[in-house]
Amino acid sequence: MKEIFTRLFFFYILLATVICSNVVKAQDAPAAVTVRGTITDKKDKQTLIGVTVVEIDKDQRTVSGVATDINGNYALKMKNPKDRISISFIGYKTIIANVNNRTTINAEMEQSSSALSDVNIVANKQSSNGLLSIDVRSSTTAVATLNAKDIEELSAATIDQAIQGRLPGVDIAANSGDPGAGMQIRIRGTSTINGATDPLIVLDGMPYDTEIPSDFNFGTADEDGYASLLNIAPADIQDITVLKDAAATAVWGSKAANGVLVINTKRGHLGSPQVTYTLRATGSKQPEAIPMLTGDQYSQLIPEEYMNKTGTPLNTQTVKEFQYDPSDAYYYNNYSKNTNWIDAITQTGIIQDHNLSISGGGEKARYFASVSYLGQTGTTKGTSLDRTTSRINLDYNVSDRIKFRTDISYAHSATDKAYNDDARKIAYEKMPNMSIYEYDTHGVNTGNYLSPQSNIQGGYSKTFNPVAMLAAGINHVIQDRIVPHFNLQYDILPGLVKATFDVQFDINNTKNKNFLPQIATGEPVSDANVNSAYDGDSDSFGIETKTNFIYTPQLGEKHTLVTLLSFMSNDSRGTTLQEKASNSASSSLQDPSIPARAQQIGSGNSEVRTVAALLNAQYGYLDRYILNVGLRADGNSRFGPSHRYGLFPSISGRWRISGESFLRDKKFINDLSLRASYGQSGNAPKSNYLFYNTYDNYPWDYQGSQGVYSQDIQLSNLRYETVTGQDAGLTFALWDNRINVDLDLYRNRTTDLFFNGLRIPSISGFSSIDMNVGTMDNQGWEINLNTTLLKSKNATIDFNFNFANNTNIIRKISEFYPSTKGDITTNGQYKTLLQINNPFGSFYGFRYKGVYKDATATVATGANGQPIVGLDGQPLQMRFNYPATDYVFKPGDAAYEDINHDGNIDYKDVVYLGNGNPKFTGGFGPTLTYKGNLKLTTFFSFRTGYQLVNGTRMTTSNMYGYNNQSTEVLQRWRNPGDVTNVPRALYNDGYNWLGSDRYVENGSFIRLRSVTARYTFAKPFTSKLGLRNASVYVTAENLFTFTGYTGQDPEVSVKGSDPFRVAQDNSLTPPTRNLVLGLVVGF
Amino acid sequence: MNIKAKFSVILLLIVFCSTACNKYLSLKPEDGIIRQEFWKTKEQLSSAVSGCYASLLADPLVKNLFLWGELRADMLSPGTSISTEETNVMNVNINSANDITDWSAVYKTINNCNTVLDFGPEVLKSDNTLTPEVLKSYLGEARALRALMYFYLARSFGDVPLKLTSTTSDADNLQIPKSTQAQVFDQILADLKQAETEVVKTYGNKDLDKGRMTYYTVEAILADLYLWTDKYDECIKACDNIINSDQFTLIPGDSNWFTTLFYQGNSDESIFEIQFNTAKPNPFYDMFTGSKHFKAAVQVAPLVYYSDENDITNIDIRGDGAALKFSDGSIYKYQGVNATTARSSSSSASIAHYFVYRYADILMMKAEALNQLGQGQDALDIIATIRARGNALPASALVVDPADKDGITNYLMAESAREFAYEGKRWYNLLRNARRNNYARLDLLLDVVSLTAAPDYQQAAIVKYRDKRSHYFPIFLTELQADKALVQNPFYQ
Repeated sequence: MKEIFTRLFFFYILLATVICSNVVKAQDAPAAVTVRGTITDKKDKQTLIGVTVVEIDKDQRTVSGVATDINGNYALKMKNPKDRISISFIGYKTIIANVNNRTTINAEMEQSSSALSDVNIVANKQSSNGLLSIDVRSSTTAVATLNAKDIEELSAATIDQAIQGRLPGVDIAANSGDPGAGMQIRIRGTSTINGATDPLIVLDGMPYDTEIPSDFNFGTADEDGYASLLNIAPADIQDITVLKDAAATAVWGSKAANGVLVINTKRGHLGSPQVTYTLRATGSKQPEAIPMLTGDQYSQLIPEEYMNKTGTPLNTQTVKEFQYDPSDAYYYNNYSKNTNWIDAITQTGIIQDHNLSISGGGEKARYFASVSYLGQTGTTKGTSLDRTTSRINLDYNVSDRIKFRTDISYAHSATDKAYNDDARKIAYEKMPNMSIYEYDTHGVNTGNYLSPQSNIQGGYSKTFNPVAMLAAGINHVIQDRIVPHFNLQYDILPGLVKATFDVQFDINNTKNKNFLPQIATGEPVSDANVNSAYDGDSDSFGIETKTNFIYTPQLGEKHTLVTLLSFMSNDSRGTTLQEKASNSASSSLQDPSIPARAQQIGSGNSEVRTVAALLNAQYGYLDRYILNVGLRADGNSRFGPSHRYGLFPSISGRWRISGESFLRDKKFINDLSLRASYGQSGNAPKSNYLFYNTYDNYPWDYQGSQGVYSQDIQLSNLRYETVTGQDAGLTFALWDNRINVDLDLYRNRTTDLFFNGLRIPSISGFSSIDMNVGTMDNQGWEINLNTTLLKSKNATIDFNFNFANNTNIIRKISEFYPSTKGDITTNGQYKTLLQINNPFGSFYGFRYKGVYKDATATVATGANGQPIVGLDGQPLQMRFNYPATDYVFKPGDAAYEDINHDGNIDYKDVVYLGNGNPKFTGGFGPTLTYKGNLKLTTFFSFRTGYQLVNGTRMTTSNMYGYNNQSTEVLQRWRNPGDVTNVPRALYNDGYNWLGSDRYVENGSFIRLRSVTARYTFAKPFTSKLGLRNASVYVTAENLFTFTGYTGQDPEVSVKGSDPFRVAQDNSLTPPTRNLVLGLVVGF
Repeated sequence: MNIKAKFSVILLLIVFCSTACNKYLSLKPEDGIIRQEFWKTKEQLSSAVSGCYASLLADPLVKNLFLWGELRADMLSPGTSISTEETNVMNVNINSANDITDWSAVYKTINNCNTVLDFGPEVLKSDNTLTPEVLKSYLGEARALRALMYFYLARSFGDVPLKLTSTTSDADNLQIPKSTQAQVFDQILADLKQAETEVVKTYGNKDLDKGRMTYYTVEAILADLYLWTDKYDECIKACDNIINSDQFTLIPGDSNWFTTLFYQGNSDESIFEIQFNTAKPNPFYDMFTGSKHFKAAVQVAPLVYYSDENDITNIDIRGDGAALKFSDGSIYKYQGVNATTARSSSSSASIAHYFVYRYADILMMKAEALNQLGQGQDALDIIATIRARGNALPASALVVDPADKDGITNYLMAESAREFAYEGKRWYNLLRNARRNNYARLDLLLDVVSLTAAPDYQQAAIVKYRDKRSHYFPIFLTELQADKALVQNPFYQ
């Protein structure tokens, strides 16, 4: 039924188009005349040579034109005597004259006294949803906008970094601090628990895709690795708008379920060419990391840990890493060091970002062109990013009725990544008594990296020499992206019906080359990881089209109406080709095409198409009552025929109370409005062809025959995941807009919640399928406050504040969706439950009570405090998880509270420990402007009211394996009677680091994210230097964090949207501190 | 244009657009075949049957079969990189979160077989060159392979769900409860009985005869099944079907024995072996090289194979340099070329086949059945044949009265430990004999624990083994969550 309706909707729209096209009619052409004349200079009466004289019609379109001859004469054959002529010459003011049946028109031209100055058009602030520009005053939806000025001072290499923490309800977290790593952008939480979670990006009115085929790098490519950064130079951006509520995003339909980020780039403006150069130089430094054990301390810990487990000393005759025998020179020299592996892989990062742009234009043509270069070296050795981007935005106005726009952007980026992302983690864990470089049996440093095949810590890939890995391993990602965008605007009926046609091509090529030399792993030469070379190409090509008809009837003073009819289509095709080989003869033979052992060859091919039609109308009455309604129909090739189309309606309104008669005389109120909206948008699955049951070949043969098997389940029930958003908002502006407040209350309900990889019974032959599993709510509120606290002649103080709260609640879920996660009887795990109608993020575990100091302390006691005795009358020892595990606690073991006093620590002793969802998140900061020249901006961000699991502390103090530990373990229990909070070292045994409150901490923090001082040079000074304008600034980032949290960084981005996520901080180093020096010069 | 003409143009456009839209959005994968386009030719059918076998090589199937058959037995001891899960099984400390109890790899193969059985017959309609006889043989292979997979499941888990149709769509019902072990055995029997009449005796190629299901493989599985269901006459009959075919023999125990049987594979002794190749090596390199996960239990060298104190060159050929290396206790069966030379040290050279059945199995199964029927002397004769071939040392000989059923059972167990060391059969042999006659020989299992479980866990393990329900694995946790019709095996509730 729904499908029939959708089809009807398409037909209706088509109908409208056909009827519409009849309106344009041919006009009768009158007889031609010739106009002659002489052009002179007004001042000296000299004739002017080469003056352009053109005939222009009523729409300012150039019909024909000539130039004056050597005597300043011209003769112009007019196509239509009713047209006007335009006389223009460089350095003179343009004259436009009506012909009025004259045949001679002489003119005197006046020199323009100075060069054209910037034209500032004063108009109301506009807000755009990427399709229609609407006065911010009349916006019926929750949007937030950030202008270029707000972001230009940050050290951000990409714009997503720049908007971090600046907009309420927009949560952005870095995937990692490495150069080229992407960001995770979340608008009002995630609307899905597992699916596409990134918002749609609309660049200059067209959707901008950032996906990489999932089968790239043989399916192991993590999204972060290839996160196609928004390769737009921050300096090219005019403004960024975030569409938050569903009524605003509904116009973008099935791609917009996670919100929309609308980005507009700068365009040329009328005036002489303006050249702007901006420079940003940033130095970043890794702050002090957690103190780890030295080699000597480590060499005491490990034998003790081993002894505690086995009861026998570690045999250093066979485990020579701890032998410390000078007579065995090889082991003595290679394993008696105090290596600081972290220092060995860390460097000071430097970013330089140059941007040069030129813009300008005349009546007919305007241009903006820019080229920028970003060079970044990361704080981890061996990581860097080089990026060159260029953009040219051209506007050509053929006439008042026909306009062309051509935008072409090109970005080339080369990222040098760590071959193995774990290098930093391994550097922490690596045995510190080991040498970086190998010493030979004579005790001479050979200069080669020490990469044994394995030692007590194991071998590749669990551990390796991180210095060798970073220095010798190669992982290059090279991306080239060209996005040409063509736009034609035609006024079918001037002032009434306007049409725009857009087509955008997107050519995005990614190449990944990596190589793992033998020295980085230490594996024997025959091993498949040795000299492993990979080369992969991923090419994607997209065509996006958009056709808009905008109808703006004149309905008199009281009414305004804008109606939009839009058709969009998209076709994206991706191909991948990749090859992997290993065991080439030498580490300098690094290409997989070199004859060696072929490992894998693969190619992939995938295509997706979407179509959409949208009808949207915005109606205003008396500037007080504003209503916006929309209906969008989407079709997507990722669904089977029965669920292919989706309909997404929206309605929103605004009541400007301040416009009512009873408030009209309250002059201090500039605006007071109530907003309400309701809308739907949909989410399509990430993968193509899911509704087919496909067959594939096994990558190996069986006795020479290729085997084919059914590789998936046909998903015929897969439907659009639909987000239904409701938003109520209040906007007010007081005292000449010195106080601006936006208040929003929202709920986004996701129905047919999409889940990737729902576990299904494996008796089916498959382990998981994608399914629509339930209903989830994302609800919360946001406050955005902008105030001008002080405004005097010399100084202005602005204060901005944003504050938000968001919670995720499951309302309904498939019974097959697991309801708990975390095995509490396994070390390091917390229990999380999925509770219907309760927010996500609560976790449960044991209460930590310190360490059993001696044998008497391990005796189990009942509720009365008396020892529990067994059947034989002997007191019983405390046990863990009887009868399944039945571990008897020993002196020095971690003690947990026996809540039910049964002498057995098990699931019955598990208690609530905390919730990882912040109660409040936001940011604030004052801006001080002094005499218009000096500007001081500070920005704080904060999160409060949540608990974090300090995962770093857990792994660096558990003394469970052969990994290096933090200095906290120096306080460990060693002998009966020791009173301490740190249990004994116990290799691979015991239950000393169960999920308990020992690792749970309050994560609230306030961080001084950035401080900027900017000085703009005064006009007289810049004029002397021949500059149009100039300013310099200094920014310091991440200077202080005020928190009670003892870990490295309380700002944990809870990765993914798994309802079982535990907010766990595994960061080993706090965020880098950056110092930015910037310069902006205009010519 | 008049109204009518305009209207019809619009109508045409509408019809055109709506179909065009649908066509525009109908995309098919370009690099894969969809089911609707498969099952058209006999070549496709053949490749789907190959797919059933190819799935046997997929990880972690054979690794699971090995671990299920050996971890709880008495022949392994922990290596340096042994996983926590593996240790827990060895210590009889098994819970449902232990991923060794994940049966999904086996059901993958079962689904491949079900797919062939469901869709294979369709090919007859579209491909005239496919004869019903050829189709029947293909279906028989799939049926026999499915039976073999269920046989492993029923022996490891006891009660398991019987899924006998292929999974194609998310509309299929996957909530299937367990069937009892007896019901599963019945289904296996039915499948094998039908397959017996369908599969060929030979493919005309020796390698294929050992790598694919033949009549003799079906008989071998049947013989094993009859032993588990205490049908000794039928067992002997099935064994005799193989023995009397004159297609099989014991490879002589000379200097080429190891190379012929284990390194080259597909010998005259072989009945069915899973055939790894360089494109898909076996999982044993990572498990045994450098004793990463496992090495031989300490008592294997002195108390299973023994040594000849008078003549150190007189050895049981199945011990040092075959099953293991006495020098370092490493498991050698899958690593060697011959007694002294190892395969090249790389994982891709580790392509030794995995034996499911060989002729020695048939003889030993027959001996077990004969013993149960009271023909003790015949059983002892077979043991003697096996021992003679392997040059078993006098020290390992037992003197047993032909009427002493338990004694002969002990001898059979001891001999099969020597003969089939590390072939993934030990636990099944022990369990089969222990459970017979209402667990009359539980001692066979209890003896194991004292050899393998860590001292801390021994007492608990013995207590657990006294509960016969503990002899089967728990159902893996995520399986329980996904299949609401499943009930955890009672011991683990």
